[in-house]
Amino acid sequence: MSVRFAILGLLAQKPRHGYELRAAFEAVVGGDANWAVKPAQIYTTLERLEEAGLVERSSDLGEGDEPSRRVYAITSSGYAALKEWFAQGVTPDHQRDEFFVKLMTALVSGEGRLDRIIQTQRAHLFQDLHAATSLRDSYNPRKELAQILLLDKAVMHLEADLRWLDIAEMRVEEVKGQPLPEPEIRRRGRPHKVITDSVDPPGKTVIHRK
Amino acid sequence: MSLIQTENLTKTYGSGETAVTALDHVGIQVKEGEFVAVMGPSGCGKSTLLHLLGGLDRPSEGGVSIDGTAIADMKDDDLTKLRRKRIGFVFQFYNLIPVLTAVENAALPVTLDGVKPAEAKNRAAEWLTRFGLGDRLASRPDQLSGGQQQRVAVARALVSEPALILADEPTGNLDTRSGDEIASLLRQVTKEYGRTVVMVTHDPRIAAYADRIIFLKDGKVVDETQLDRKGAAEKIANKIKEIGD
Amino acid sequence: MNLQLTLAWRYLNGRRLRTFLTTLAVVFGVMLIFGMNIILPTMLEAFQANIMAAGNLVDVTVTHKSGSGFPMAVAHELDGIAGIRAASASLERTVNLPADFVDGNPSKPDGITALGLIGVDPEAAQSLHAYLVQVPGRFLQQGDTNAAVISQTLADAYGVKLGAMIKVPSVSGTETLTVVGILPPRTLPGNEEVLVTLSQAQTMTGQSGQINTIEVALTTTDETLRNQTVTSIESALGNEYQVGALQSGSEMFASIKMGQAAFNMFGVLALFMGGFIIFNTFRTVVAERRRDIGMLRALGAKRGTITGMILVEGLLQGLIGSGVGLLLGYLFAAGIVRLMQQPLSAFIRLTLGRPVVSPTLVINSILIGVGITVLAGLIPASTASKITPMDALRPSVAEVEYKRRAGAGFIAGLVMIGLALLALASGNMSLISVGGLLFLLGLILVAPVLLRPIVFVFGRLTALVYARQGTGDLAQGNLTRQPSRVTITASATMIGLAIVVALGGMSTSLNGMMSRVLHKSLGSDYLFIPPSVSIWNSDMGAGSGFTDRLKAIPGIGDISTLRFAASTFNGQAISLLGINPVTYPKVGGLDFKQGDESAYTALANGRNMIVNGAFLMSIPVKVGDSIELATPNGPQTYTIVANASDLLNAKVVTAFISQANLAADFGRTDDLFIQMNLKPGVTLDSVDAQIKAVAADYPQFTVIAGKAYIDQMMQLLSAVFIGMYFMLAFLAFPSLIAMLNTLAINVLERTREIGMIRAVGGTRKQIRRMVVAEALLLASVGTAFGIFSGMYLGYVIVKALGVLFPMEYSFPLAGVLAGIAIGLLFGALAAVIPARQAARLQVVEALRYE
Repeated sequence: MSVRFAILGLLAQKPRHGYELRAAFEAVVGGDANWAVKPAQIYTTLERLEEAGLVERSSDLGEGDEPSRRVYAITSSGYAALKEWFAQGVTPDHQRDEFFVKLMTALVSGEGRLDRIIQTQRAHLFQDLHAATSLRDSYNPRKELAQILLLDKAVMHLEADLRWLDIAEMRVEEVKGQPLPEPEIRRRGRPHKVITDSVDPPGKTVIHRK
Repeated sequence: MSLIQTENLTKTYGSGETAVTALDHVGIQVKEGEFVAVMGPSGCGKSTLLHLLGGLDRPSEGGVSIDGTAIADMKDDDLTKLRRKRIGFVFQFYNLIPVLTAVENAALPVTLDGVKPAEAKNRAAEWLTRFGLGDRLASRPDQLSGGQQQRVAVARALVSEPALILADEPTGNLDTRSGDEIASLLRQVTKEYGRTVVMVTHDPRIAAYADRIIFLKDGKVVDETQLDRKGAAEKIANKIKEIGD
Repeated sequence: MNLQLTLAWRYLNGRRLRTFLTTLAVVFGVMLIFGMNIILPTMLEAFQANIMAAGNLVDVTVTHKSGSGFPMAVAHELDGIAGIRAASASLERTVNLPADFVDGNPSKPDGITALGLIGVDPEAAQSLHAYLVQVPGRFLQQGDTNAAVISQTLADAYGVKLGAMIKVPSVSGTETLTVVGILPPRTLPGNEEVLVTLSQAQTMTGQSGQINTIEVALTTTDETLRNQTVTSIESALGNEYQVGALQSGSEMFASIKMGQAAFNMFGVLALFMGGFIIFNTFRTVVAERRRDIGMLRALGAKRGTITGMILVEGLLQGLIGSGVGLLLGYLFAAGIVRLMQQPLSAFIRLTLGRPVVSPTLVINSILIGVGITVLAGLIPASTASKITPMDALRPSVAEVEYKRRAGAGFIAGLVMIGLALLALASGNMSLISVGGLLFLLGLILVAPVLLRPIVFVFGRLTALVYARQGTGDLAQGNLTRQPSRVTITASATMIGLAIVVALGGMSTSLNGMMSRVLHKSLGSDYLFIPPSVSIWNSDMGAGSGFTDRLKAIPGIGDISTLRFAASTFNGQAISLLGINPVTYPKVGGLDFKQGDESAYTALANGRNMIVNGAFLMSIPVKVGDSIELATPNGPQTYTIVANASDLLNAKVVTAFISQANLAADFGRTDDLFIQMNLKPGVTLDSVDAQIKAVAADYPQFTVIAGKAYIDQMMQLLSAVFIGMYFMLAFLAFPSLIAMLNTLAINVLERTREIGMIRAVGGTRKQIRRMVVAEALLLASVGTAFGIFSGMYLGYVIVKALGVLFPMEYSFPLAGVLAGIAIGLLFGALAAVIPARQAARLQVVEALRYE
């Protein structure tokens, strides 16, 4: 999805041919180390865009001995599609988390010390954060903006993970000694039951879990 | 050698039934040139620890030694002198004197120490220039942004060339960007100018600038983490590349 | 610049309005003290110029210690002393003139109010003075009778030319003198002189064979030789004589000194208020800057540095305030001197010159102004120095400390009030006065604790009034939360009003007492009053011929006269009044504090005297003691038989002796003040014409029927009281400043809170009402306290004055009502500016305020 619109955007800047597009794309994402695209992917994407009428192709004579190359340009519906993409928000996807599984497993199995597990994870995240921060501060903000932005993103995610860890630690502490929810066999239909665990003293801490 | 060493450091507020133990037999060491962050939930005693380290408050039990000198039983005037010469402070609310200019504020500790005003201002101006405030020397605090004010405060903490800088939530009142700048400045203070910094913060992003984090909970040290981990940098560098489809 | 100075200056500059208001308090106090102390010496100077504008070639003046005349033979004691070039014996007398005596024109203010009658030996006088008599004309000659030499100015004033006659008051009425010579116009201000021969002067003053001054010219200007000669003169004459300046006029000095003390009291009270305001401001300043100060401490400022910083701020304000105060004080004095000239000349015959400023006064005023400011800053400064670096981080710890201090203050205050009450019980005047001040201080200290319930009660009232707006509760809450600050503002109001009510009480009591004493001591049917009442020395009396002629009028009953002689005891000038022990109690009478009417009989037998309160205050003796008074014939021992006062001489150190003793020891027989009763059944109308006819020959006396005189005196008194109330208004003014100050600061401190109230929907009107309600509350509390303590203070003052005059305390209803009105009015006034300021705050800015 991203590659498709990145190509549209690059063509909006000026008409380009396939090889040039690939180089430009890699520059946008901060180098092929970050995101290496194969030439085939570029051409497939271009073909699909052309089918959809978002770009159009023209030929361009190579200079001197160079063979003629296909040059692509954006169409008016291409502009419209690009505009629409810009106008929409994106829900990021980073829910895949090994630590979450580790935590829940420890909780269910009763093996391992929960507080140690959390503290170890915290220390690990802090070390990652330290590394990300140091790395980011070693880049030149004029020349390596893409790296810096990506590292900022990593920093903020790590910060979020650390904050989540604090919350998790507190919640785990609160449910200590309470029976854990047994896995229930899901029936069809939307689950609508709300389980309320009341921890004494009543009214002080109420946890709603869906 | 440790610049700071505490032994059984305990601070209790109030007495009898209502006594609250803010710090409970804390023993920590900070090496010279180290950047240490102290973290923990609110009320864990992290600010109390900082105040005791700086001689701003007296411990109920145990002791603190700075550079081998025990400060617990020092007289107020001697303690004042120690603070003036050996310790610099950075606070959450900058605490600049509103009627003095940036350079005058930064020069305060040395002016108080009896250095001639012109000389004191020169030294302060030097630090301010290093921190990118060379063109704001004559501005009053209310003419500066929060980040700039805090930079003046850091310059003030450094102007008397102290070995130790104590920072209490130095970024607590700043936006993300300015906060990062101040934390980075404090790191620079340890790495480039060889000072030791102990910083209390509840912000993980800011704590990550340190070399080591001391975690406090209920007045006790629960963990200490060295932040430099082999291979962490490469792992992060690779991780950020996972942006493609 | 020094750091403390820089900080102090910047802080002051940063809050200009507050600095202005605070400094104003200092300005005001210094202005009063400086101004008042200019006015009185100016009067003294004028007095001295009038009395002592004598001598040009004179090096040494010899007078008797008592100030009275002495035998002519004494002059011969100087014969043969080496170093004396010439000596001239003279009889000099300042003669106060009745109104319009010289120009005879009632529509024009009198240019000449007193004359110096100088009797000289023509030859001896000319060897000491250069009399440049205009041609034609001549100087006096031995054997001249009724001849006078006067200046051109005086001749113009009389409207006479050479050879014409002028009239001059004398013991036998008036004397007509022929002008035989005219001197050039006088250039220096002072009394005009009438030069006559010595024997002429002796006749005119009724002091035959007496002189009172010997002027001496020395042969050399060498300091050592001159001192030797002076020593020789002193040893030749004995210690009864004074070599140097004239001693006359000491009674006047006493009167003026008394006035000066009273005015200084006002100044000190004003400065006390000023100090109070500064104390209040500094306390607020310290609270406001708690974080800054904590920061400075954290950075390594020592306690002394912090104390110094606050004190330097006080010093700066003190210096500026004193400077401006000096300037305004001078202008104030110059204005008053100008205004005073007219009313003053009705009472004392004086011409005032330019204001006199002595360097000592300038230095003292500055010292007092700066001293009080710095003193007021001491407690806040020490509080500031106790701020710990922790306060920079946790600014809220402060409140606790103030509360604890208030607790200790409460006990100290109770002790002070206890001491004040004890002092009152002791009956000792100086203890009572100190007690009064202690009482005020004690009240201020006790106030914080007492204030809570009072604020609560008044708060409920205000809350009721403003119930619909819901602002009364808020105002009340604001006040109870800050009891110590509120106390201080309320105390400022309290002191102001206490003074108003106290002096109100005093004047009511004084008024009552005055009319009682007036009726007693001056209650005769007729009074013959000299131009200067109580400054007897400069009045020209009348010989016995006057009273003889009065007695001859049918229907005349008892006549009592006052005669005067000056004396001293241990250097303290004493005014001796000769009375007739038989007739005086019948016509007038003294108010006895110790002893009773039987003391009059004692005066007739031997050398006994009745002394007044001022006498006992100035000289450490008691009734029953005997002391030696200086007389022209050597010291004489008099025994004090009673302590009693009359109205006219109450403020002067006075002793009453019999006229027989006065004649024997002091050689004075002229009557200066005459009181006369008619026989029962005789009406005023039937004798009035005859009495006036006799009195016409003695123009130095004003004839007044007793009742009329009392009315006149009471009028004068009320004029004095009006002046006093004017001063009170001046004193109440600083309390307005104090309230304004506190309220303004209060609003500043709560800027954020007000912003919050506005943000959650408080209207400007509500904010304004809240601040006004608060001000009214403060004012009510201050007023309540002020009236309470004012009544006590008034009682103390009345008790203290009771040493001079026995008097009863009367409840100052008018004063209390005025107090309430002033208090509430000021409260409302003081609220206007802060209320507007508070209402005008921009919400966003207010919320951002640190």
